[in-house]
Amino acid sequence: MAESPRSSPRSRQLLLRIRRGLFASPLDTLITVVLAVVCGGGLWNLFHWAFLQADWAVVLSNVRLYFNGNFPVSQIWRSWSWLGLLGALCILTLMPSRLLPPVVVRLLPLLWVLILPIGLLLLASGLGLEPVKSRFWGGLQLSLLLTLGTILMSLPLGILMALARRSSLPLLRWLTTGYIELMRGMPLIAVLFFGQLMIPLFLPEGWTLNRVLRAVLSLGFFMAAYMAEDVRGGLQSIPKTQLEAARSLGLSPLLTVALVELPQALRTALPALANQCVASMQNTSLLAYLGLIELLGISRSILANPDYLGRHLEVYIWLALLYWAVCILMTSLARRLERTLKVNGHH
Amino acid sequence: MPAQFFKKLAVVSPLLLLGLAGCATAPEEKVSLLEQVRSRGELRCGISGRLPGFSYLTTEGTYTGLDTDICRAVAAATLGNPDKVDYTQLTAAQRFTALSSGEIDLLSRNTTQTLSRDSGGGNGLTFAPVVFYDGQGVLVRKDSGVTTLEGLEGESFCVGGGTTTERNLNDVMQARGIPFEPVKFETPQEREQAYLDGRCAAITADRSSLNSSRSGFEAPDEHVILDEGLSKEPLAPATVDGDDQWADAVRWIVYGLMSAEEQGITQDNIDERVASATSGADQENAALRRFLGIEGDLGGKLGLPNDFVVQAVRAVGNYGEIYNRHLGPDTATFIPRGLNAIYTEGGLHYAPPFN
Repeated sequence: MAESPRSSPRSRQLLLRIRRGLFASPLDTLITVVLAVVCGGGLWNLFHWAFLQADWAVVLSNVRLYFNGNFPVSQIWRSWSWLGLLGALCILTLMPSRLLPPVVVRLLPLLWVLILPIGLLLLASGLGLEPVKSRFWGGLQLSLLLTLGTILMSLPLGILMALARRSSLPLLRWLTTGYIELMRGMPLIAVLFFGQLMIPLFLPEGWTLNRVLRAVLSLGFFMAAYMAEDVRGGLQSIPKTQLEAARSLGLSPLLTVALVELPQALRTALPALANQCVASMQNTSLLAYLGLIELLGISRSILANPDYLGRHLEVYIWLALLYWAVCILMTSLARRLERTLKVNGHH
Repeated sequence: MPAQFFKKLAVVSPLLLLGLAGCATAPEEKVSLLEQVRSRGELRCGISGRLPGFSYLTTEGTYTGLDTDICRAVAAATLGNPDKVDYTQLTAAQRFTALSSGEIDLLSRNTTQTLSRDSGGGNGLTFAPVVFYDGQGVLVRKDSGVTTLEGLEGESFCVGGGTTTERNLNDVMQARGIPFEPVKFETPQEREQAYLDGRCAAITADRSSLNSSRSGFEAPDEHVILDEGLSKEPLAPATVDGDDQWADAVRWIVYGLMSAEEQGITQDNIDERVASATSGADQENAALRRFLGIEGDLGGKLGLPNDFVVQAVRAVGNYGEIYNRHLGPDTATFIPRGLNAIYTEGGLHYAPPFN
């Protein structure tokens, strides 16, 4: 049929490419057939399971819990509106900037910094809204809150430490190097355990530090060490001549850092930093093992409901999809930022 | 520059020390947690939140289970409202720290009572009465025909690695000279899957956990839990050491639930029974009147309202009702009462007299 003179040149070309790519030699054909059978069989089994055997009630009846945790139902609009704002901000950022009014484009970075305080205000409140304790925060909302908190804490801290590590003051240099090496030498789970178990013991009697805050602090201090190394890598890529040029122009050391070094260093370090941000989203799931009811934690509580006993596979596949969606969103945001910076950089 | 630095340090360090000392001194008069709970208007209860039948999240986003009902009973008895509970999910590693650091008032999280947990040299807890007698059991396939541990000679056991469960299994099998092969897993799900895939002939874990595993299987009836137990696991709520008033209150609230079952007082008939004891057929029954707080000052002695048992039973029912609601025959997590029956029915739950 492919040889029929009626078929358009385009489909002929496609068929030709398929034949050349997949069936060029008997060995190629064999590999293609075996792979197709294996993948096809796997996919068929998956679909068979997903549509005939799986019972998705454990996901469908608990959607609110996965997204908002056990946030009080009467106040749930607050949780949804924060998630909605976050989503809208992502869409705005990903839209081609020529479709947006320039004011919005200029405000975007500010909005990203503000989204965490806005979230805290909406979720915890007090200011006009009924206060909701942090133990009611859960599900994806808590995971995102932890991620944002971690990034907003560790990025500035990381930048400061990267600069301190190159400082000419020996004490400062030693301290930061020591800190970074200490944090990088410890597994994250140990740091998290320390944050959740030891901090309450060290605090004076009667003092308590909110568990969510403890989690953000431990995650933030940990990630900051990695961020610092990424930024340092960026700083090292700047040729020394630039610093000499800055000095001969009469720029003060502070201005040299702010105007010459950091903008370039951050642009270079951006892919690595974005990597850390995605990792910090995934790291929040470790907190399920410390009693927080973030996405993974709340799923385990739902799985303990006798109505859904043994429905692990459904839940874990759903979780995989959710985490994947969030991480894909984060990487596309990072790519977008990279492109924007590159354009500006060439100006 | 260094000289200047040290000069500054010399000025700053006494101030720093002073500040630290300020934090450390003045340990105020210890206020009993009972008083704190009442002034806060809320009971902070530590739970697992991930154990079928004991504490889990419902679709509505509320916690429920046997462990959470104990929290609710204590809240009802102390505050008059079972909904005034602030639940914190705790992992096994966190639970004792949460109690000793004052993050929670009451630990109701399937915790086995042991000497080292009770003692001041250990975890420094004070245990309330046991609310569930658990024990390590063994789950096998019914068609294997195995009824005793001896029947599992040379077979492999799926077991949680590095747990007391694994140690108990080793101890018992060694003592009885039965060779076996342990296959270790990190989570219950892995354990179950391996067992269902036929990688081992038996799973061993606490009976309550085996039961919920079995309920999740496709054909629960094809599996049985052996009658033989490998260990004693008395699960009890706990409070922090050194706060006797609070510990006493919790202890007698739990006893109240058990005593109510013994006397046939239920959530449904409690108001009837109160009316009858106040000015009806039971008017002369002094013991009942004391129990219900109509006469005497039993509650007051504990720092609780005199009708604290009535409040608790009205909120969650008696012990038997709580048990049946979460672990009874109508639930997916059915565990026969066995040792958990009241003593008059052959179980171990025995409340001392309310005198």
